[in-house]
Amino acid sequence: MTAPSSVDLAAARAPNGRPIITVKDLRKRYGSLTAVDGVSFEVAEGEVFGILGPNGAGKTTTLEMIEGMRPIDSGEATIDGVDVRANPREVKRRIGIQLQASAFFDELNLEELLHLFGRLYGREVDTAALLADVELTEKARSQVRTLSGGQKQRFSIASALVNQPRVLFLDEPTTGLDPQARRHLWALVRTLQERGHTVVLTTHYMEEAEELCDRVAIMDGGRIIALDTPQALVDQLVARGFTKARVERLANLEDVFIDLTGHDLREGE
Amino acid sequence: MRIGVLWALFVASAKMFIRNRAAVFFSLFLPLIIMLIFGVLNFEGSTELNVGIVDEAQNEASASLVDRLGEYEYIVLTEGDRDAELAALADGDRGNVIIIPPDWAPPAPGAASGLIAYAGNADPAQAQVAQGLLQQAVGQAIFAPAGGGGGGAGFVPPLDFQQVETRDLGYIDFLVPGIVGMTIMQLGLFGVAFGFVQLKRTGALRRLFATPTSPAYFLSAQVLSRLMIGLAQVAILFGVGLWFGLQMIGSYLVLLVIVLIGSAIFLAVGFAIAGWAKNEDQAAPVANLVSLPMMFLSGVFFPREAMPEFLRGITGFMPLTYVNDALRAVVNEGAGLLTIGPELLGMAVWLVLAFLLAVFMFRWE
Repeated sequence: MTAPSSVDLAAARAPNGRPIITVKDLRKRYGSLTAVDGVSFEVAEGEVFGILGPNGAGKTTTLEMIEGMRPIDSGEATIDGVDVRANPREVKRRIGIQLQASAFFDELNLEELLHLFGRLYGREVDTAALLADVELTEKARSQVRTLSGGQKQRFSIASALVNQPRVLFLDEPTTGLDPQARRHLWALVRTLQERGHTVVLTTHYMEEAEELCDRVAIMDGGRIIALDTPQALVDQLVARGFTKARVERLANLEDVFIDLTGHDLREGE
Repeated sequence: MRIGVLWALFVASAKMFIRNRAAVFFSLFLPLIIMLIFGVLNFEGSTELNVGIVDEAQNEASASLVDRLGEYEYIVLTEGDRDAELAALADGDRGNVIIIPPDWAPPAPGAASGLIAYAGNADPAQAQVAQGLLQQAVGQAIFAPAGGGGGGAGFVPPLDFQQVETRDLGYIDFLVPGIVGMTIMQLGLFGVAFGFVQLKRTGALRRLFATPTSPAYFLSAQVLSRLMIGLAQVAILFGVGLWFGLQMIGSYLVLLVIVLIGSAIFLAVGFAIAGWAKNEDQAAPVANLVSLPMMFLSGVFFPREAMPEFLRGITGFMPLTYVNDALRAVVNEGAGLLTIGPELLGMAVWLVLAFLLAVFMFRWE
């Protein structure tokens, strides 16, 4: 079976016609390597948008250019009406960013860190409410290094929420987490969506993309090679005559694992 | 918002430093411990007599007397003119000064020596011993030039010492300014380099770039917090020094100026290293390469005068040497800003060099 040669243009548009992110022909080169090679898409307000792809596909570079964290070689990116190239600082004011490797200052506790990050946006934040949102109330006076993997990621999301961002960027939020912690984070992302945040995330887990994302873009070699709702992408594949070598079972091993070990978080709390 | 941001980062930066046990130990307790150890050891056990001699007679007899006194192993003789030697006595650099007046001739046995002698009043017990030894030496030099048995029954003490008000500079007076200089250097080099490189490596710094606040605020806050911590350290070291008998005769304001300029130099060097290095393993050897030679060759623990000529020449241009010399001039001699002009100029040159180095070496990622 062959991948579709071009992305369905209609599917690349914001479904509700109200794009909060517009990306047009974004490109980035490092020497002779083309990391991002003409990426275009829109994200609708309130949508959870996933960017999938193997390592080195250009997911993180694309994300960082849109966030104003990395200079754009050519192309356009607009978030909430603000041109990223012209005004990256204004863009950062409106978005929340969870970096792939989230590190914080070791000597400060969670409360102090959130307070500090609030001040960086010129805001006084309700640290207790934020920590309650990500279920880290008891850890308010702990340092980040004492947290488990899942707790770290949740705190990282809390730190990205201090400015009540219109758009939240999550770069591989569940990589390295156990199944319980991953499901817990999915619930958090859904809650954020319900509260009206637009979420753009990257992931290696197809199950996660299917579970969370309204639409997904699949990247390879710096290009988007497919973009649609997860269901539409599956339907297109089946329509091309795809059959699975083994018939889908009613449950998979992860279902067994969760059934045996329960949904409770294992974080030594 | 701007001042609020700077303040929040300043407070965070200071908290981070104070809670980092390794940083506090190396930059605060280590210098303190070194000072306590050296303060208790007290390197003043020297039995040599520092004697200044002024030969105003310039005749055969006076030259012979000077030669004879120079032969005593326990006398360190320095020749000079009257004003210079008396000034040295007042500063505590000499224990005694002997003046051979014009037209001096060796006296008859039993008669007064005709020499003028001054004694410092710094350490009464030591001065007593010194004067006794000197009486004997001068007596022998005058009355038994052939090396025969001097002294004898009718021995008249040849010197009539006049007491002079002097300052006794102990080792603590030498050590405290040196330790202050060393602390300023260590704080700038290690206090910044390691913390900053760690933030760079872990990505905590990148997390700051995800906010609309310019990274320059973070840098400024780091510099300000380190300066404040540096001043607190100097205050503590000085307090302990005073308790150990340090004599501060200069102006604290001039001292503050030197401490601030010195800190700025080493902070800039620290940021140059931190900006260049990718991780702590790269930063550590370079920081040590910069700090160790200065710690031992810039006159922190021992005077540079004890070094061989060529080494003294080279080390005279080290930044810490300028800082230490300026600190000592203020603390020990009460020098003002004009007096330490050459040292300030040297520091200014280093400040510019270090700043340029930091600007060119610095990389955020």
